[in-house]
Amino acid sequence: MNRRALINRAGQALIVALAVLGALPVVLVIVDIYARGVPAIVRIGVVEFLTGLPPTPLDEAGGIGPALVGTLVMAAMGAAMGIAVGFPLGVYLGAYRHERLAAVSQSFTNVLVEYPTIAVGLFVYAAMSLALPAVNPVLRATLGIEVSQFSGLAGALALAIVMVPYVAIFTASAYASVGRELREAAHAITGDEAKALFVVLRKAAWRAILASFLIGTAKIMGETAPLLFTALGNDYYYASPHEYVTGPVGAVPLLIYYMAQTNYEVQNEVAYGAAAVLITLVLAVFVLARLTSREGL
Amino acid sequence: MKPHRLLVAMAAAVLMVAAAALLFTGRGGVQGAGPGTPLVGELRGALVGGGSTFLNPQMQAWSREFYRATGGRVTVNYQSIGSGAGTAQLIARKLDFGASDVPLGRDRFEELGGRLYQFPVIVGSIVIIYNVPEASYASTGKRIRLSPEVVALIYMGEVRQWCDERIRRLNPELADRLPCRDIVAVHRSDGSGTTGAFTLWLSRNYAPWASEVGHGYTVEWPADKVARGLGAKGNEGVSQVVLRVPYSIGYVEYAYWSLNADRYDEVGGVAEVLNVNDGEYYFPSPDAVALGVSEALRSYAEEHGAYPSASEDWGPVTEALVTPPRGYPITAFTYVLVWRDYSAEGYADPATRASLIREFFRWVLTEGQKPENVVEGYIPLPPEVAGIGLKALEGVRG
Amino acid sequence: MPEISGPLLVFGVAAYVLSLLVLVRLRLRWGLRLLGLGMAALVGAMMGLFLAEALPALYRYGPSLFLRAEWDPPREAYGLLNALVGTALTASLALLMAMPLAVSFAAAVNEYAHRRFKAVLSNLMDLSAAMPTVVFGLWGLFTLQQFARWANNLLASLPPPVGWLFTPTDTGLGIFTASVLLAIMVTPYAAAVIREGYALIPREIVEAIYAMGATRFEAILIKLRYVRSYIVGGMFLALGRALGETVAVAMVVGGNLSRLPTSLSDTGITVSSLIALQFPNAHAYQYMVPTLYAGALLLASVSVVLNLIAVRYLFRR
Repeated sequence: MNRRALINRAGQALIVALAVLGALPVVLVIVDIYARGVPAIVRIGVVEFLTGLPPTPLDEAGGIGPALVGTLVMAAMGAAMGIAVGFPLGVYLGAYRHERLAAVSQSFTNVLVEYPTIAVGLFVYAAMSLALPAVNPVLRATLGIEVSQFSGLAGALALAIVMVPYVAIFTASAYASVGRELREAAHAITGDEAKALFVVLRKAAWRAILASFLIGTAKIMGETAPLLFTALGNDYYYASPHEYVTGPVGAVPLLIYYMAQTNYEVQNEVAYGAAAVLITLVLAVFVLARLTSREGL
Repeated sequence: MKPHRLLVAMAAAVLMVAAAALLFTGRGGVQGAGPGTPLVGELRGALVGGGSTFLNPQMQAWSREFYRATGGRVTVNYQSIGSGAGTAQLIARKLDFGASDVPLGRDRFEELGGRLYQFPVIVGSIVIIYNVPEASYASTGKRIRLSPEVVALIYMGEVRQWCDERIRRLNPELADRLPCRDIVAVHRSDGSGTTGAFTLWLSRNYAPWASEVGHGYTVEWPADKVARGLGAKGNEGVSQVVLRVPYSIGYVEYAYWSLNADRYDEVGGVAEVLNVNDGEYYFPSPDAVALGVSEALRSYAEEHGAYPSASEDWGPVTEALVTPPRGYPITAFTYVLVWRDYSAEGYADPATRASLIREFFRWVLTEGQKPENVVEGYIPLPPEVAGIGLKALEGVRG
Repeated sequence: MPEISGPLLVFGVAAYVLSLLVLVRLRLRWGLRLLGLGMAALVGAMMGLFLAEALPALYRYGPSLFLRAEWDPPREAYGLLNALVGTALTASLALLMAMPLAVSFAAAVNEYAHRRFKAVLSNLMDLSAAMPTVVFGLWGLFTLQQFARWANNLLASLPPPVGWLFTPTDTGLGIFTASVLLAIMVTPYAAAVIREGYALIPREIVEAIYAMGATRFEAILIKLRYVRSYIVGGMFLALGRALGETVAVAMVVGGNLSRLPTSLSDTGITVSSLIALQFPNAHAYQYMVPTLYAGALLLASVSVVLNLIAVRYLFRR
């Protein structure tokens, strides 16, 4: 009995120690970002920082305006597409995991999350050069616009491909863990597979599913590599909103990627300020979603 | 079905933020338009270019100053996707212009030479930095002198310690301060024009390097093979590693040293480099670099009868730049590549595009080379070199 | 070039639209199956593209492309073996470190954290998903490097067998440092999946566990076994991130492109970071782009095989 108590104590202490060890570096990095980013934003001024053009080494201040717009547009489009595909896919992988096809499909999903994200960008690049010559004449005739090779749409597509496996793997785990009793009850009560899966069981797994949407969205808001050959980047605003979809657009992570690695103080400052804005934005989405979710359920 | 409502709310929130941000776009145009002499004419439009990472800070500055000079009517969007990718994307007609630290290779040039112009827009210069606390500039007031042969031997893993006889012989005044510690040879792990110029300099000044290693964006570092090397990402990576790792040596673009010269002097310093043609050691001052470039081009012109033109193969020029008769010997140009005829290449709205290219680069090669528009750490073109691009631009058609 | 990927992509999009239609109108299960097929088609399209792009290198170098450690662009001589070894080492080492941390975090935050504090901690960890990896890379270069040097030299001084795996280092950059940084970066992903699963354990089960007289620690272990599908899901997510991470690894792994590492302290490279580092200038060479695509293809193929083996194994049981 004494030995059990000892193991109990030691085991719990180990778990807490490892948990702290796991969380500490992440917290340190976040603190580091705010410690360097917030003073930069304060010095430059919040409005100027959020709306201004990115600083060149000759400037004394600047902002992240065009990149912020690009990130919001692409993340919104990418997340919508990613959820539209990833969620039902995850339901399938989780709820029908004993089907051979689902198991195979699951392994392909696992493969997708392992692709170097730059390769996802290259794939979309190739797909765009293939599709645009066919799509653009139609668009020109109907809407009077054209999508260029480097565009917000291409960026959003690449981000969606990055997001799908996150949503799917999370959702699949959640559906796989639903007990048999609950599943059978759901089917018995509703008498309809769709209702059972997407209404009753979804409620049981909603926490995990919501977390997958949020983490997936956060992930694509912070992605750099898939945007390199798709969105390309842009330091300027457009005159008309549709160009953020059809033309090359900037993104906050791209801006950070370049500016954190230059030699110029003002650009380093803005890079960390941009990182602070990015994680604050994501934090806001998290808190908002989790608050509404608690009320909703 | 409450979670559905939640999703709608989330989407609405994101869209509202996006819409709010979009509203600022109207302000963006006005806000950037600061002082500066507005250009004449009704120039209006957007260019998209990409390439050289080294050029990025300077190109951002040019783009922004031109944007202001045109009252916000012209945006030049330059993205540093890398020299090789910039060239490839221009050739694929996905960009309006490209920028590269290395001119077109001979095969590409022979394939496209008649249709593309390439001309220099800025001078790059590579410096050799070291971390040797015992012999730091701050403590001794002297800088280590290095010859291409010794630098090559360090990166070949043959000169292994700072107290090696071959280093001490070049530095009699520092000889007793050079420690017997292993040298860490830091190099780029990403492909880069900086490595290209550095390895070309080694190749042309120490024959065994040319036959055993060669030159290019990336080479197989012999030092890596014997566990003496260390790869770092980007100029920033190399400079941070050299600042942090004692007894290391590295090569970076001039700007990455010059802006932090004091910090390097604390732990080591920047090397004075031997020009084998005149036997002098040169400290990388802007004057010594400019001297090296001018002398290199003068000797090129003497040999070939004229300065190179924008429709020529620039390979021989890059070689001349690392073997100047006098002056600092490790320099390179960054080139801009443009099409000669934008309508023949199938671009949309070729006339506007060609005139934007002409006006922007005309500005870059004149106003852009003035001190107020040159970013700290970059070295402007000698006027006769700027003239090469100006002449070519007259031939750009839409 | 991407002749294969085009039709497959079209098929993928068509499969999605069709599956939605079928889902609403006809049999749900078939709609979902179609979607699953669409996923396979997407991955197939990407691998088709990689294969098409990689063909020149595969023809030229044959199997030696994957069996040699070499990166010599001036001579157009490439071999990906050391990148593969680096990938295997960093990913497995990172997973080895990350999984205990992630499982412990998930358990501790659910067991001990106050409700408010729990939400704050969870949000903070999830937040790291959005942090651009270059920020992690710079943090690794500035801060982690010092710690990694110390930890590495400590490990190197330990008696065998641990001591054999490490050698003392002056630089603090290499495979070990990259693995630690990767572990830090992937822990939140795995932790998030497990945490959500842990929170969903039905109360009846918890009560049953304690009713049987289990201690707190024993209860945690039983609960962790209960959420094993989440742990597996989290592990795949973490493994995926560890294999695919580019920039942060590239900044601390010591960029040795041409020699097999001799110890965990040695410098190296991974397939993903090799692609990110070398792609921007690869077009200047004839065979570098195909070689990099071959690397991406190999990475994808290996993980397809691994996953299919896992599927087979799970089916047997």
